[in-house]
Amino acid sequence: MTFLEPVLLWGLPLAALPIIIHLFNRLRHRTMHWAAMMFLLAATRKSTRYAKLRQWLVLAMRVLALCALIFAISRPLAGGWVGWMLHPAPDAIVMVLDRSASMEARMPGGSTSKRQEAVRLLAEAAKGYEETSRLILFDSALRQPQEVGDAMSLPQLAATAPTDTAADMPALLQTVADWLSRNKPGQVEIWIASDLQSSSWHPDSTRWPAVAAQLAALPQTARIRLLALDQPAQTESAAIAVAEVNRRYRSDPPEVDLVLDLERNNPTPSTRSLTFVSEGSRSTLDLQVQGQSFRYRHKITLDSPTAIGWGRVELQADNNPRDNVAYYVYGPPVPLKSAVVATDEIVGRILKLAAAPIPADTNRQAEIITPEQASQIPLSGYSLLLWAAPPPKDETAKKLRAFVEEGGSLLVWAAGENGSLFGLSLGDVETAEPEKFWKIGKWEEKEGPLAKTDEGLSLPLNELAIFRRQALRGEGTVLAGFEDNGPCLIQRALGRGRLLICASSPHPEWSNLREGLVLVPLVQRLISDGGRRFTQADLLECGATLPVEAGTTILPVEGGRDARLQAGVYRLGQRLIAVNRPAAEADLETLEPAKARTLFEPVKIQLFTEQKQGESKLQSELWRTFLFIMVAFLLVEAMLILPPKTEAERLKVKV
Amino acid sequence: MAERRARRFLDPKVVARLSRQPIGTRLPMIGTVAGLHKSPHRGSSVEFAEYRKYVPGDDIRRLDWRVYARTDRFYIKEFEADTNLRCYLVLDCSGSMGFTGAGENKLDYARRMISTLAYLFIQQGDAAGLMCAGEKVIHDIPAKRNPAHLQAIFDTIEELEARGETALIPTLHQFAEKIRQRALVLIFSDFFCPVAPLLDCLQHLRFQKHDVVLFHLMDRFELDFPFDRPMRFLDLESPEMLLAEPAIIRQQYLRALNQHLQELRQGCMRFSIELRPAVTDQNYEEVLGEFLLARALKTK
Repeated sequence: MTFLEPVLLWGLPLAALPIIIHLFNRLRHRTMHWAAMMFLLAATRKSTRYAKLRQWLVLAMRVLALCALIFAISRPLAGGWVGWMLHPAPDAIVMVLDRSASMEARMPGGSTSKRQEAVRLLAEAAKGYEETSRLILFDSALRQPQEVGDAMSLPQLAATAPTDTAADMPALLQTVADWLSRNKPGQVEIWIASDLQSSSWHPDSTRWPAVAAQLAALPQTARIRLLALDQPAQTESAAIAVAEVNRRYRSDPPEVDLVLDLERNNPTPSTRSLTFVSEGSRSTLDLQVQGQSFRYRHKITLDSPTAIGWGRVELQADNNPRDNVAYYVYGPPVPLKSAVVATDEIVGRILKLAAAPIPADTNRQAEIITPEQASQIPLSGYSLLLWAAPPPKDETAKKLRAFVEEGGSLLVWAAGENGSLFGLSLGDVETAEPEKFWKIGKWEEKEGPLAKTDEGLSLPLNELAIFRRQALRGEGTVLAGFEDNGPCLIQRALGRGRLLICASSPHPEWSNLREGLVLVPLVQRLISDGGRRFTQADLLECGATLPVEAGTTILPVEGGRDARLQAGVYRLGQRLIAVNRPAAEADLETLEPAKARTLFEPVKIQLFTEQKQGESKLQSELWRTFLFIMVAFLLVEAMLILPPKTEAERLKVKV
Repeated sequence: MAERRARRFLDPKVVARLSRQPIGTRLPMIGTVAGLHKSPHRGSSVEFAEYRKYVPGDDIRRLDWRVYARTDRFYIKEFEADTNLRCYLVLDCSGSMGFTGAGENKLDYARRMISTLAYLFIQQGDAAGLMCAGEKVIHDIPAKRNPAHLQAIFDTIEELEARGETALIPTLHQFAEKIRQRALVLIFSDFFCPVAPLLDCLQHLRFQKHDVVLFHLMDRFELDFPFDRPMRFLDLESPEMLLAEPAIIRQQYLRALNQHLQELRQGCMRFSIELRPAVTDQNYEEVLGEFLLARALKTK
């Protein structure tokens, strides 16, 4: 049993007050000389059992109402008291703590974080079970069971400390279910504390039914209690994240582009102060931000093209201090390789030149291979694959799909043959009439490989002349379309990469793409996209597997001390890595508690919501319940006291 | 001195107001002298009753010569007789009549009524007697119409005390046997005794052709039982004591009282006995006024 105001329980003897008053009244009876004794004696003889029972029931109701009142003001906690009262103490209590970065948001009306409040409530609720139940803690960052001896030591445990990780609740609960199946601890209660962030709970995940089924299939019934800390921030809150760190290609002086994402809970335009700390120097920038999601590119000038360094970007303090810092590192330029698969020599040469325009530049390399070679050599080292040959089939197609899903870019050109690839197909060849050509009518300028330049200039797609083309069909995003509404360039996302297919070819007989005004930016952008897994390899998400080779130690440079759990800059041998909070942690969307309830079906869960710090819904729900019970007792007492109206009327003596 | 004491229960203003209304009876009375009340016998009043045939021995002065002249037959002309009545005022002096609750003491209330009625009866030429019943017959004053007789009644009333168990039922049986001549019998009591034997003795009185009226005296506390805290009730007629929780027994008490009153009411109706309930917080003049008015209406 746990009470927030246990001292008030000393008032429980006061519940005997009605009995004492009753007895005292009996002692303080009035004496009266009475004439109509014969009726009194008859009444005493006939006084039914019900009348006496009713008298005792009235007393009992009064006593119980007082008890309920005293319990209400003693503020019992659900985890302790109600659990004890309604159920026997479980053999084991599994506490599941969401330690994701979003749990570091402050509780409304308080200065403690949601994680701290959750740990406090779990500790207080578990305190009453120390003697009778095993206490096991699972946290979202480590997903390892940890036996807890002293419930009140929970806030001091490393497993309840703040992290910059994301949470994967289905995976965490799967771990819990596996542990329960393996260890068979007997009657078990699972207490889950989370902010119900959608990106952590993955409500649409197909893993949920399996987890729920496994919990339902346990030999003993598992009861689940969910403490939801899903209150939105009451004040303005913003989160900063480093999306990309790009070395500008062949810039002078050498520069690094920082792509920063700012997520806010308030979409009204405002000014935000950004502080850049790099190698000990600090600079501040006031930024006009609009909308909930805002992307900003920041240039950092470097001393040399091969400079290595790190830095961090800070926002001013707000509701969640954990998401106000983002780290970045930069190193020497990463060479990006492209492969051109062409059956036509001219096309191969044009495409190779578009992929590596300066033969002396070692940062852009391109080679021409045959379709047969493409099926044999490993493709994982390439950023872009330019396919100007008949559409691949069978094993080659599978290999290309794996390449794209891994993060590479694949651009397929029309080669005069019909065929399909991953749901996109090339139809019959059409040739424009002499002296005529097809023009591009519209294209996607906002984003993608045909977007405007940083300076806001459009690519001259309207100057393209297409003399020959193949009809494109299939589901995908049309990036460019002909004036007669036929698609010219279609894009389809596959895994982490993307596939593009073009209705024409750079061959001079097909189009004037060889002029390069569109082709070179298109190809270079695809190389950057496909090479992101190489250029951004040093930007890691907290909780992700670190690329640690055997014998390499991880040394903290800036920020956190543990690269698995805390954001910061770390050194792996000669390499610097920046570990940041996962971008999904800035997601404001939370799961509806009712939806969370359905995820566990057929296992029933008890839901508690924490509205404000110090005003625990756990306890407030209970004191309200006790007040309700008290009112119910008083109502019953009132009903018992009042005789039926008809009876009272009937008994009115008329003379 | 005695007269002055007696006037404690006699209010001259009340008497003055009530004396405007003569007291009648529902039944013919057999009196010794002429009075206001109808007699079963023929007499010499101005009110014609009937003709009957002359029989030898009749007073020839009462022959109706006009009828003889017309019919050549002898007829005697008879007239109604008016006589006085005997009124017996029977007072229950048992301990229960000493109860004082919301209103006046029941015995005092009865004494006021009896004093007033005795005065009114003797004033209109009727005879009034008094019988007081406690555990036995305490006082038995015969009915007389002498105004000096009032003093004896007033003195007796003054000395009365409510005490002991009630012996009303044997007293009434004894009365019915003793008083054989028709009389108006007014009984003042709370009738806290079993109804069946009470009705037996009332039937006995009716059998003797007495006109019986019950003045049922009750206190408001006895009717409403308005107690809400534990009470220790001491019986006024016996050493019995009862500690009770009024909230528990109230319903049953009222139920028992109601049943008692209903049985009494039905019994009185059955034997043509007039029942006059009186609550001691009521003005006794009202009760007597209603009684006299009802009597006057019935007499007409």
